[in-house]
Amino acid sequence: MNSLDFSIVAQAWPYLWSGLLLSLSLTVAAFLIGMLLGTLFALVQHFELRILSQVVRSYVALMRSIPLILVLFWFFFLVPIVLGHLSGNGRPIPTGATYTALITFGLFEAAYYSEIIRVGLRAVNKGQFEACQALALSTFDTYHHVVLPQVFRVASPIILSQTIILFQDTSLVYVLSLTDLLGAASKLAQLNGRLVEMYLAAAAVYLILSSVASQFVASLRKRYAVAGTYR
Amino acid sequence: MQQERAVNPYDRFPMVIVEHLIKRFGSFNALSDVNLTVARGEKIVLCGPSGSGKSTLIRCINHIEKHDYGRIVVDGVELTDRIRDINSVRCEVGMVFQSFNLFPHLSVVENCMLAPLKVRGLPQSEALDRAMALLRKVRIHDQAKKYPAQLSGGQQQRVAIARALCMQPKIMLFDEPTSALDPEMVKEVLETMVELANDGMTMVCVTHEMGFAREVADRVVFMDCGSIVEEGDPSTFFRAPNTERARVFLNQIVH
Repeated sequence: MNSLDFSIVAQAWPYLWSGLLLSLSLTVAAFLIGMLLGTLFALVQHFELRILSQVVRSYVALMRSIPLILVLFWFFFLVPIVLGHLSGNGRPIPTGATYTALITFGLFEAAYYSEIIRVGLRAVNKGQFEACQALALSTFDTYHHVVLPQVFRVASPIILSQTIILFQDTSLVYVLSLTDLLGAASKLAQLNGRLVEMYLAAAAVYLILSSVASQFVASLRKRYAVAGTYR
Repeated sequence: MQQERAVNPYDRFPMVIVEHLIKRFGSFNALSDVNLTVARGEKIVLCGPSGSGKSTLIRCINHIEKHDYGRIVVDGVELTDRIRDINSVRCEVGMVFQSFNLFPHLSVVENCMLAPLKVRGLPQSEALDRAMALLRKVRIHDQAKKYPAQLSGGQQQRVAIARALCMQPKIMLFDEPTSALDPEMVKEVLETMVELANDGMTMVCVTHEMGFAREVADRVVFMDCGSIVEEGDPSTFFRAPNTERARVFLNQIVH
């Protein structure tokens, strides 16, 4: 390996691209599942629903205290066994690596998003709730039209930062033998012996996508500081 | 409005009846045995030193604070713990807060349209027409597309008044509406309130604006330590209050 030869990257591009697509679709799916569940979890804690909020709090604490890679293993091996038991014949029912990854990332991120949203809910001024009461808005309308939109706006930079981390974490799916961007680069690097070029190329893609997203975060921050209207 | 209300059998009765009201915050008696009746079309100014319970009293009238004992009847509906009663009272009671409490993520006109759309179930176009008409009434219709943070304090408070009026309430509660305003903006808000009073709106205002009280109030109610100490028509009250506590209070706010 004497000089760098990036033509190899160009040749490998279709394979890298399919890896990148997996990374991106996992990110998007986990984001959607995570935000939906995370918002629900945050609301459960916000309303202090007796037993449920205890359960959610433990779940969040658990997910935030163990490594993601361990959770991936858990789900990969545990969910088939549980499904097998539920179905009655006791034999494990494989869920497939893609579904495992999707469910795991979604559930794992839900813990993080719920913490962000929970803090955001606490930051909403008491007067906003009183104004909603005075206007006879239902609890659903209050949260749907007044409280949550404000929370999402205030928290959007942090939510996006967490999503950038999520995007990078999707590289862990190699433990399930899935081929994401990094996995694709890694396989090709082993195959053709061009480790430096392949890893540099993968790093460049992560760098570009993450910094574009960070720019977007910065512009969001600015926009909500101006017309976004927080006193 | 979707339909004209049938003749309300309660029309002959007072708009608000408060009887033997008690409200505690922990061991602190915020209100002890308060009785107050507000007639239809009556304008009442509530005044008194801070911590005297005047804000708590009007916040009980639309159940933002839950009272501990006593009875509150608004337009013939008694406030109980039932959500249906609470909501039907809140629909008829408009409230304006000291800190405006506009929704910062919604434009001025959206602020005004939200409750009529969601609570009254008005169609979009009708809610928009109503919002624009009331924004015009408070002379702020040219700012309808702006967001609250882009307006001055006085403008925001006028939007808050318009937002409350969009629900077509039968009574308006004002909780120190000018206390958070810069002095030069107090006038525009008071003028709006005077116009509202001249339209015949029933109003209960917690305010220390004595000029306003003289001009529009039918009755001034003076509170101290959670009780009504004295009430009377404004000219008598301001010239010759009956109680020593009211005299001390008036002396303090004049200077």
